[in-house]
Amino acid sequence: MVDAVENGGDAILHFDGVVKRFGGAAALSGASLTVRRGTVHGLVGQNGAGKSTLIKLLAGLHRADEGTIEIDGKAYERLTPHLAEALGIHFIHQDRLLVPTFTVGETLFLGREPRIAGTPFLDRAAMRRKAAEMLDRYFGLQLPASALIADLSAAEKQIVQITRALIANPKVLVFDEPTAALVRREADLLFRLIRRLSEEGITILYISHYLGEIVDLCDTVTVLRNGRDVATLPITETSAAKIGALMVNRAIGELYPKPQVTPGETLLQVENLALTDRYDEVSFTLRRGEVLGFTGLVGSGAKEVVRTLFGLDRPTGGTVSVKGEAVFATDPAKATAKRLALVPEDRRRDGVALDLAVTENTTLASLGRFSRGLIDRGAERRQTEDLVKRLQIKTDGIDALVRTLSGGNQQKVAIAKWLSRQSEIYLLDEPTVGVDIAAKVEIYRLIGELAERGAGILVLSSDIEELLGITDRVLVFFRGRVTREFISSETSPDQVLTDVTGAHETLRHAG
Amino acid sequence: MLVDAPYIPPSVFGLEEKTSPEPEKSGPALGRRLATLALRGGSLAVFAGVLVFFSIAAPFFLTVGNIGNVLGQSAIAGVLAIGLTIVVIAGGSNVVTGGIDLSLAANMGLSAAVYATLAQAGQGDAVAILGALGTGLAIGAVNAAAVTLAGIVPLLATLAVMNVVAGLELVLTQNTVVPASGEFLSTLSASGPFGVPVLAYVLLGFTLVVAAIVQYTPLGLRLYAVGEYPDAARAAGLPVRSFVAGSFLASGLCGGFAGILSVSYLSGSTTGAGEMLLPVVVTALLGVVFSRRLVPTITGTLLSALFVGFLINGFQLLNISSTLVSGVQGLLILLVVSATTLLCREAV
Repeated sequence: MVDAVENGGDAILHFDGVVKRFGGAAALSGASLTVRRGTVHGLVGQNGAGKSTLIKLLAGLHRADEGTIEIDGKAYERLTPHLAEALGIHFIHQDRLLVPTFTVGETLFLGREPRIAGTPFLDRAAMRRKAAEMLDRYFGLQLPASALIADLSAAEKQIVQITRALIANPKVLVFDEPTAALVRREADLLFRLIRRLSEEGITILYISHYLGEIVDLCDTVTVLRNGRDVATLPITETSAAKIGALMVNRAIGELYPKPQVTPGETLLQVENLALTDRYDEVSFTLRRGEVLGFTGLVGSGAKEVVRTLFGLDRPTGGTVSVKGEAVFATDPAKATAKRLALVPEDRRRDGVALDLAVTENTTLASLGRFSRGLIDRGAERRQTEDLVKRLQIKTDGIDALVRTLSGGNQQKVAIAKWLSRQSEIYLLDEPTVGVDIAAKVEIYRLIGELAERGAGILVLSSDIEELLGITDRVLVFFRGRVTREFISSETSPDQVLTDVTGAHETLRHAG
Repeated sequence: MLVDAPYIPPSVFGLEEKTSPEPEKSGPALGRRLATLALRGGSLAVFAGVLVFFSIAAPFFLTVGNIGNVLGQSAIAGVLAIGLTIVVIAGGSNVVTGGIDLSLAANMGLSAAVYATLAQAGQGDAVAILGALGTGLAIGAVNAAAVTLAGIVPLLATLAVMNVVAGLELVLTQNTVVPASGEFLSTLSASGPFGVPVLAYVLLGFTLVVAAIVQYTPLGLRLYAVGEYPDAARAAGLPVRSFVAGSFLASGLCGGFAGILSVSYLSGSTTGAGEMLLPVVVTALLGVVFSRRLVPTITGTLLSALFVGFLINGFQLLNISSTLVSGVQGLLILLVVSATTLLCREAV
């Protein structure tokens, strides 16, 4: 990269050896990135690779622990949101930061409102007129002057946000996953716009999970992995598949202890399950002893299917049967009665009660077994001690508050709760998010043990290596449908990633 | 990480180049707009209906004299409700976590007591006025510090401050009436042009000034952004905490101002200012339904202050027990809060 700069490339952004730690964990451990003026630069990496941290450093929302950030050749120690904006760096955030009750005009000019000459009052007419002009000029979009943000579609909101950035004459526009909520046609519109902005001399930093988009749109791509930049390549010298291979680290195959279990009877059968606007035509079976993986991007429908199975959302079509018996789990109580268990992604909020002891958490879902009117504390303690030993939960005794446990051990408590309930179908939503590698391996081992004892396990994860390591089969969700099923032992991560990110999307859309 | 973000199928969008989105395709938005219209139109119709009913039942109701009376009687609650409205705008209209200032009524009580005590001690009007306004501002500053520096939810912070302020008032007045009189107070409580009380003109003038600032200046627009969606305001480079703190200072000042008005109206400071709290909260919350976007506005708050004023006045003219009035006010809170809450939930 240093070469590129010396070869006459004019760097507008230059990160050098940037380190950023949160608590003990390093989100960035020496990342470098050089973006040349006037280019469209792609930034890719798996979840946790450090993309968002890098962007937040640039936005002045975090400060780097080590390393330098240069903008236009000048190093900035203390970048603030205000300073970044003053330097001409603008962000199109993933979550659209717009006030729902504002009109389009008010939104575009918030913070730099035009005033009626000679008075302190807002010039609403000018705001309306200029807003209409800008939207028409850049996007050919005509919105009613009185339209409120809350009435706009996701795509229109994004257009408003981009227009807001354009008013400030940006030098660099940073797009953070801009197409996550857009359909193909709108995404195409966005790409045309980005190319036009690039022609007008604006530098684009483009972050996306969709590798197909990166290849179509960018001049250069930088791949981040584990907080470092592993490669920066001209797009002409690479492909979606090669980028995918760079994103995953293939050296840790032995991390996944996966016992061989012969699948038994069918526990869960799902046919043509549908929920309007979320997913459609989802069918699969889960058998005793089987570990089934779900993966997909945000909004792909994978998470929503899991929610539906546990009775958190009501499907609009299709059937679910547990052990051959058709059920309509309309609320979690009915789902648990069918021996379904959900270990949610946000365990600190939904999975465990942080301020209750390990004992209370463990028996929370199965108190009926421990009480005849009053709770039988003795039985409760024996059960908990047994589970703590079996799951190797590291705690200062069973009376310790769950808050004092590490992330991995909290997750084990969340699983123990359902073991105590004698659940048979486990729905695990991102079970290893935010836990360290040693705890991950223990959770993997636990999943294997559950399978050996005849449970059926459904794991939803965006960590594809992990998923292939611990499951028998993986279903890939893309834009609301199951687009591919892989046999885990015969598949490499980049094969799955290609489908997850829709690198083949163009083919399907042509059909 | 998979987080909840809606998957939106192609059929939902009617967006193409050189076409404007067709309204019928934005189903939820349309439904929301209809509900907004119904709520707003409905409440205006109720307002008109109440006026018509009382004017038929009590012929004196719709005379200039009576309307002036209602305006004058609403002045104190109106000024307090406008102060509360500013806090609600800057803090967001979520009733539990959003902006609210429960200390306003007690603030008025203490400010009035300070005014009356200073006047009794032989101080001039100017000193007494400054004393009352300063008291209000100081209470606002305590609220601002508790909310923005200590990070306490406004509902709890101002509840605590309310108790402290009410206690201070007891200490200052020994729980008695402190009479006060003077030229300035007599002018305020007198009748102005057309036989309409001066307080009525004060309310209208005050509303005009605050409405001009809040509805028609960039400052006001930013205040809304801060309250509605602080993240968006922050992304637009606005100092969110300063705005919230400023809103409490403004409402504190309104409390001090209302204190002066109440001294003139009651010829002194009296106990029981806390009873003013419910009507003020009703007025500010009810004001939301008188705005196009269902957000708190200054003019909406004035309309709702008059609505509550006319209601009380009509009850009095018809000799209906005044104890019924607070029941009706409680009912109005329930109705308005549940209607707007339902509407917001649908909009998400």
